[in-house]
Order: sequence, then C-alpha cells, then structure tokens
Amino acid sequence: MPYLLLITFPIVMGASTFLLRKQTRLVIVAAIITMLTQIGLVALIPLDAPARLLGLTLTLDPLSRLFLFAFLAVGAVAFLASWSLVHGENFVPIGLIMLGLVCAILLLLQEPFVVSLLLVSASLMAVLAIVDMPTGSSELVERAVIATALKYLVLMLIAGVVMYMGFVLVNIYRPGEGSDTSPAQLILGLLVVGFGLRLAAVPFHSWLPDLAEDAAPMVSALIAAVMNPTSLLFLINSLQFYPVVVLENERGLATLANLGLVTALVGAALALAQTSMRRVIGYLLVYNVGAVVFGLATVTPVGLTGAVFESFNQVVAVLLLFVCIGLLERPDGRPANVVRRDLLWRWPVAGAGLIGGGMALIGLPPFSGFASKLLLYEAAAARGIGPLAVLLVATALAALALVRLARERLLGVPEGLTPPPPPRLVGEIELDRPVERWLEPEPRTPAIIAVALLGLSLATGLYPQPLLETITDVIRGLTFVRPL
Amino acid sequence: MSLSDINWAVVGIGLAGGLILLLRDWRLTFAALFASYICVALFIQQQQFLPSDLRLGGIEVSTPVMVKLITGVAATVILTITALTFSREYNLEDLNEFSLAELRRAARRAQRQRAAEPRRLSDYVVPFWALILALIASLALPRLYPIGGPLVDFVWYWLGLTGLFTLVTASDTLKIGLGLLLCAGSVDVLYTAIAQTVQVFPLALLSLMTIVLALAVAYLSGLLYGRLKTLELNELYKQ
Repeated sequence: MPYLLLITFPIVMGASTFLLRKQTRLVIVAAIITMLTQIGLVALIPLDAPARLLGLTLTLDPLSRLFLFAFLAVGAVAFLASWSLVHGENFVPIGLIMLGLVCAILLLLQEPFVVSLLLVSASLMAVLAIVDMPTGSSELVERAVIATALKYLVLMLIAGVVMYMGFVLVNIYRPGEGSDTSPAQLILGLLVVGFGLRLAAVPFHSWLPDLAEDAAPMVSALIAAVMNPTSLLFLINSLQFYPVVVLENERGLATLANLGLVTALVGAALALAQTSMRRVIGYLLVYNVGAVVFGLATVTPVGLTGAVFESFNQVVAVLLLFVCIGLLERPDGRPANVVRRDLLWRWPVAGAGLIGGGMALIGLPPFSGFASKLLLYEAAAARGIGPLAVLLVATALAALALVRLARERLLGVPEGLTPPPPPRLVGEIELDRPVERWLEPEPRTPAIIAVALLGLSLATGLYPQPLLETITDVIRGLTFVRPL
Repeated sequence: MSLSDINWAVVGIGLAGGLILLLRDWRLTFAALFASYICVALFIQQQQFLPSDLRLGGIEVSTPVMVKLITGVAATVILTITALTFSREYNLEDLNEFSLAELRRAARRAQRQRAAEPRRLSDYVVPFWALILALIASLALPRLYPIGGPLVDFVWYWLGLTGLFTLVTASDTLKIGLGLLLCAGSVDVLYTAIAQTVQVFPLALLSLMTIVLALAVAYLSGLLYGRLKTLELNELYKQ
C-alpha cells in the first residue's frame, strides 16, 4: 500500500493542483505538504522488501531511499522557493507529477523497460514546464525557450528509445551462445548513448546549458537535481542486473571512462568561455557529469562511491545555484537593460550562495563536493597519471570559470546602491526634491533557503562520514564492482 | 513469385515510412502515419507473436494488437486536430503592447515568407537520398546484426531509420513529431517481436507514452504557431 501511495499521491495532487493553479499560494502549500507526506511514506517503507503489483516488482534499496529523501526535499524546497521566485503557471502541478514518476522509477528499478518509459514520460512533463509562462503574463514565450523545449523533447525521446533497445537486447542475450561476436559491446554502446543523452555527457550535452539558460530556475533545478541523478541510479541498477555488459567489455569501459574525462574537460573549458551567468552554471554541470561518468566507468569501489556521492552533492549544489540565480535575476530597482557587475553587494545572500554553490559543484574545500571529488581523483590516480591530470586540469578550468563569473558579475564596484543626495538648490524645499529610490531587500524565504542549503553543503563537506558509510555499504553489495 | 507471396503488411510499412520521410504536406504524411500503425498491427497479428484472445466480427486478434491500433488512431487524431486548428492563441487582453506588436510582425513575416517561397523540387533532394540510405541500411543491417527474424529486423530497422532521418531532415515541428512517433513505433515492434516475456504493463506504458508524445508535439506546435504564425523550424532559430 505505501508503494502505491508513494506513486499515486503526488500524481493525484498534481492533477488537483492543476485545477487550482490560479491560486498560487494555496497550490504551493498543498505541494509542500504533499512532499512532506511523501518523505514520511518513504520512511515507512521497509528496505529491500519486494512487493508485486500488476506483474511488476517494487522494492526500495538503501541508496534509492537516500536519494528519494533528497529528491522529495528538493521538491519541497523548490516549491517553497517558488513562493517568491518567478515560475510558470503550471510549475507546481507538473513538478508534482514529475516527482510522482521519479518515485515510481526508484521503486521499479528492477523493471528496466518500464523505467526507461517512465523516464521519457517524466521528460515529456518537463517539456511542458520549460515552456510554461507565469499566470497572466503579458509577454510572449521566447523563441529560444521553445527551441530548448523541442531539443529536450527530441533528445530525451531518442535516449528512451535507445535505452529500450539496449534492454530488449539484454533480455534476449545469453552469454556463450550463438555467434563469435558478443553483442555486449552493442548493448553497452546503446546504453552509453541513451544514458549519455540523459546525463548530458559530451557530445550529447548541448541541451543542459540551453536548459539552464532558457528555463525558469526552479524547472532547471528539478531537471538537473532530480532527473539526472535518477538516470544515474537507473544506470547503476542496470549494470547490477546485467553485469555481463560490464564483464565482457573492457574496451567499452575504457572508452566510457575517456568519455567522462573528455566531458569534464570540455564542460569546464566551455564554462570558461561563456559570458552568460546561467550558461556558465550549465557548463559547470556538464563538467560535473563528466567526473561522475568517469567514476562510474572505473567500476571500482572508490570510483563508484565517488560518483554516487558526487551525484548526491550535485543535488544540493544545483538547487542552491538555481535558487540563487532566481534571486539574482530579480528586478533590483535599477534599469533592467544594463548588465550588473555588483550583484553580490545588491543581493549578498544570493551572491554568496552562488559562489558557495559553484565551489560545492566543482569540489573545492570546505564544501560538500570536495570529499567526493577526492575519491574520484583517487580512482583516477589508480588508472595512471594521465586521467588524474585531465581531471585536475578540468577542475582548475572550472574553478577559473567560477572566478571569472564572480569577478564579472558579482564582485564589481557597487554602483548606485546609495546615490549621494544632490546638493540643495537655493529656495528648494523638501517637496521639490526627487523621491528617494526604494530598493527592495532580498526576499526572505529564498534567502533563508539559500543559507540553509549553503550550511548543508558546508556540513556535508566537513563531516561526510555518515553519507559516505551508507553509500560505501551499498557499493560493496554491487556485483559488477571490481577491486581496485 | 505470386502476389500472394508478398507480405503486404511489410510493403505497407515500407511505403508509409518512405512517404513520411519524403513528403512535406501534413495531409499526406498523417495519412501515411495512420497507414503505418495499421500495417504494424497487421504485421504483429500475422506473425503471431502474441496469442489471439479477442474476437471482433469473426477476426481473432490479440489485445496488445488492438491497443496498438487504438494508440495509432489516437496519435494520428491528436496530430491532425493540431494541424487543423494549429494555434494556441494568446489571451490578447493580457499581453503588453510590445508583445502585441511582436505578434503582428510575426504574422506579417510568415505571410511574406509563404508568398515568397513556393514548393521547389530541390526541397525533396535531401529527403530522397535519406530515404535511399534508410532503405540500404534497413536491408543491410539485418544481415550484419541479426536480432529477430529477417522480416522483423527489416521492419524495426526501417521504422527506426526512417524515424531518425525524418527527424534529421524535418523542416517543421509536426514532421519532428512524426519522426519521434516512428522511432517509438520501432522499439514497440522490437519489444513485441523478440522480448522473451512480453509483459502487458510495458506495452500499455509504451502506448501511453506514444499518446503523451503526440500531445506534447501538438502542444509545442500550437505554441510555436501562436508565437511565430508558422511551424517552420528555421524561423524558430532566427536571431
């Protein structure tokens, strides 16, 4: 029963909130309560106790539970942040349905056919969120937004089709039977393309920077912080169920590891070349995906632990970054057509959050990404100096991109925040003087969220042991992992 | 070889896929999509991948085949309604003057473009060679990577490749939708034909996904037409 409730409750609430979508505040409160109820339900479900429903096996393993808690918390925080940040009219209903589908995916990880279709369905919902406009908006949807939605739709459907083909082939493949050539390489190839598209690994990455640039911040946060780690968990689970894909594929895994390194390097280099704040973040995400893919492809305990831990850190960092972007892009009482370079002084919490979130994503101490990146460096060092050097160079480039972003957009000389009063003219009285410009303070709710997420990232960075132990335990139980 | 030896369902799938890839007029391509769904259902029924469990007017069919037919009808109807009505109109009272001016400009631009660009034979050159390439690949790949029987392999490779090439050569959003639906149809055939245990739930979910995909394409097309008064992709990417 809790399994069914976990899947259907957010979907039903999504449908209900769609009917009430004009009542923005009410809908947000309902969505947050739904998320909290879901967290309670997840806590109630026993671990590794499979149940059968409609011929499908539903189960919850420790890793899925950990991520499910995180995803539901991300949902609750994203809905709370949308109280003050600009969002589409249907963001809450679509977000609830997406999170319901994510719950279904994590419970059904043993059913790859169903999960690949559920991932496509969740992406189709995300497309609607990307093109969504705020209630009563007086503006048109931008061309770029429609183009981004179309690109995301096409790529995610192709990813789903390719994954599905891979799973059909795995389903009919019997090792040692038939021809001399093993189809394991073809299967791994299909899975790499499918998951590469979903995770935004180079050369399938272009949708992620576009999404970061064009979608509303909370929509980008939901897709990058929930959908991408879900795909990674699905990939790990697929390799767990079909270890033959890994065992017969030494060359394929080496190629995948190289793909991860190239992704990290290209993502970081392109982040350095961007001028738009959102695009820099988009490419830093691509860099991070590369590091995760590399860790996964090593199939060693250290590499896999690093990849999963990094993915968990990404959930927190991405949410923090997009909440801060939403805050920094608020009209600040100054002309809108000028690029501001002093955002840290105008919005101190959001500015500090953006820098902290960026550091967490790149893996700079003392934030949460540092411990996971150390594990990934260790896995790279075990493969030789080359992979380690590439990862370190990629990280250095990513750090430079963040420094450039901070210098160009955040740390500039404060302009016009407190303009000096003009000299009083002869005969001028108080009523003749221009009205003092009123600059709004940082909205309280998202600012508190940013501080809390920054604190969480810092706490995880300083004391990663509890999370690491849980992840290490799960990784130890995986069948396809090789000793270092 | 007599006419009775010809597998008309496969011929139908081949022709329908080819027409979708080659032609640009939505009236013809949507009819071809509908024909493709019917031929795929006929092919699956004919190959007896699934036992028949329904009797409709003296014809025995399996439930999944019926589900596929209904899915095909639904997807085609959704896209056809979109093509007929096109626009998701904005609530003009809500828009500011800049947005209203932008809409008027888009309408004028689209009208000018329609008048200035009649259909040319050169528009069909790339789709034609893509069609030839898809045909060669669909005949060669079943020999290089045999997965099911020769017919099954031809059908799913053909649907997948024509879908992919339709995506690559598409000039409007509806054509992109057709390509995506062909790709989804390809995995549908593959799963139904060769999965060792065909489960009802994945098949039902695949059908649901196909319908939602058609709806998403319809929504995006409506949005694009409402914004730019055209479905042409080159307008979308103009700076």
